[in-house]
Amino acid sequence: MIKALHGLARAEQIAARRDEIVRDLKKETGRPVIGYLCCFAPPEIISAAGAIPYRITGRPGDTMAEADAYMEPYGCSYVRNILAQAVKGRLDFLDGLVISHSCDMIQRLYGIWTYYRPLPYSRLFNVPHQVSPWAQRFFKRELVFFQESLEQFTGATVTPEDLSRAVALSNRNRALIRELYRLRKENPPLIKGSEMLTLLLAGGVLPAEEFAKLLAETAAEVKNRTPAGPPAPRVLVWGSLLDDSTFYRLIEEAGGHVVADDTCIGFRVWEKDIPLRDDIYEGLKDHYFLNFQCPRTDRGPGVRRFDYILERAREYNADGVVGYIISFCDPHKFDYPDLRDFLRQSDLPVQLIDDNYSFTPAEAIKTRLQAFIELLK
Amino acid sequence: MYVAGIDVGSLSAEVVILDHGGRILNYIILPTGSNSKAAAERAMEASLQAAGLKLDDLKFIVATGYGRISIPFAHKRVTEITCHGLGAFFLHPASRTVIDIGGQDSKVIRLNDQGKVVDFAMNDKCAAGTGRFLEVMAQALEVDLAGLAALSERASCSIPISSMCTVFAESEVVSLIATGQPREDIARGLHEAIAERTAGLVYRVGLTEAVTMTGGVAKNSAVVHALEAKLNVKITVPFEPQIAGALGAALLAREERDKEAGA
Repeated sequence: MIKALHGLARAEQIAARRDEIVRDLKKETGRPVIGYLCCFAPPEIISAAGAIPYRITGRPGDTMAEADAYMEPYGCSYVRNILAQAVKGRLDFLDGLVISHSCDMIQRLYGIWTYYRPLPYSRLFNVPHQVSPWAQRFFKRELVFFQESLEQFTGATVTPEDLSRAVALSNRNRALIRELYRLRKENPPLIKGSEMLTLLLAGGVLPAEEFAKLLAETAAEVKNRTPAGPPAPRVLVWGSLLDDSTFYRLIEEAGGHVVADDTCIGFRVWEKDIPLRDDIYEGLKDHYFLNFQCPRTDRGPGVRRFDYILERAREYNADGVVGYIISFCDPHKFDYPDLRDFLRQSDLPVQLIDDNYSFTPAEAIKTRLQAFIELLK
Repeated sequence: MYVAGIDVGSLSAEVVILDHGGRILNYIILPTGSNSKAAAERAMEASLQAAGLKLDDLKFIVATGYGRISIPFAHKRVTEITCHGLGAFFLHPASRTVIDIGGQDSKVIRLNDQGKVVDFAMNDKCAAGTGRFLEVMAQALEVDLAGLAALSERASCSIPISSMCTVFAESEVVSLIATGQPREDIARGLHEAIAERTAGLVYRVGLTEAVTMTGGVAKNSAVVHALEAKLNVKITVPFEPQIAGALGAALLAREERDKEAGA
């Protein structure tokens, strides 16, 4: 059934049935499934250790009352949403869990989850909040400790060659994703923002080789498209985690094109290859820590991160920036006033949408998005 | 050649009809009630009747507001942000900042020299500090909406209201009444609380003069005065602030009509 579809249709089906896919994969291969959140603990290490990496996603708008017994109802609704799923048993196919200390809420999620619902394997991946040479050394060591803990769990031994092979496979996907992103520079773009995100979400559950096939199929499919419709305003979406394409669809329904992104499950992870150096950990450290543009890392005064967003906006010819922030997301909220002023000075209009990870009330969000698209025209 | 704009908000529906010369032929304001489609039809019918026109006489209709999606006779739908900006700019061309407080929304719109929206901010997804908030508070103080402003103007001092949630603020008001606080001072406190919250929105987009206020709440002089004091600016209120959205929609309808006629 799943094999019968191709390209984007297949991506959509996979993204909608991620749990089912990973359960099947687990049965077929006999390998343990390691769930991960955030992008600091490299999935390449999980694959190299003979396990299946699974990017855990939330279910926006789903009930979270189950989490209230273990976590205060204020705070990040994404984190509460994930905890509610764990409590409801929806993630019971996981054999292990790795959570990085990307923000305080996520770190607490790790503590609460593993205390009340212990898993056979669990690890808190410690990520420094600054990028000093000492912090970089620390991160590199953390990569090795993470690998060793997985080796202990799976019984596999990971050689540098194994790890390089896993990195080469994911780099091939990076090249394919870059190719798809290039098609977004067209006006109108050949692939929609919502389609691209669906594809990346499907990739979060597929083995690298399978993901490569899906990406290649999709590229062939969308390259044949003839750009239709009058040109519409082009937006870059910046913000905290977006692991559901609903928000991009709302922008598209409001009459805009999402042509680029700077969010958690977006181009950030795929834009550049992981450097394959003699010391593979050095490359992983540079990719997943030093150059990784997540606002949770304090890069000191100055706006390197903002330059990064501006460069992307220019490269993809964006007319404006839509910010999506999950309520109470400190790392993003602290960035916002500065980022807003910076983008305004660069003549890029910005509109911020503050949401409790439910995209509701949809009409209120739509009105803001539609008004923003109107002002970009 | 006539065109119309219709603004169906959460509490009221407005229609503005423009005549051949682009002048306001007539306008109407009706309560929305529970069915925004029915309210739109009712308002349009009443407006047409008053103008002595038929629906066919209207060459283009633009709908805006919360209920814009459910208006069957509209040719185009545009958000209330764009429309309020246009309407306020038409009524008062010096406007660069428009503060609109309606039934459930408050928004601050920044305009450029051509009256085009360049930035805006809207209230969070609750009715704090909006028309509905005032209605509930007026009820708690046992006055009508006009009486609320009058009450506040007679206050000798202001009692701070710390809750902005409509429900909690109502309980706060009820307990203040119970402790024997003068209603006048409570009313002043409520208006200042609204000004405080609205000012937060203004600071987000930045304050550029001249400032114009639209929406039903602009008819409440106590809110306008509290805002003027808080922001330290003079605020202009058009002769009928409640129709700014429908007027902006009508102006857009005229533009669309001209485009069609030219094409």
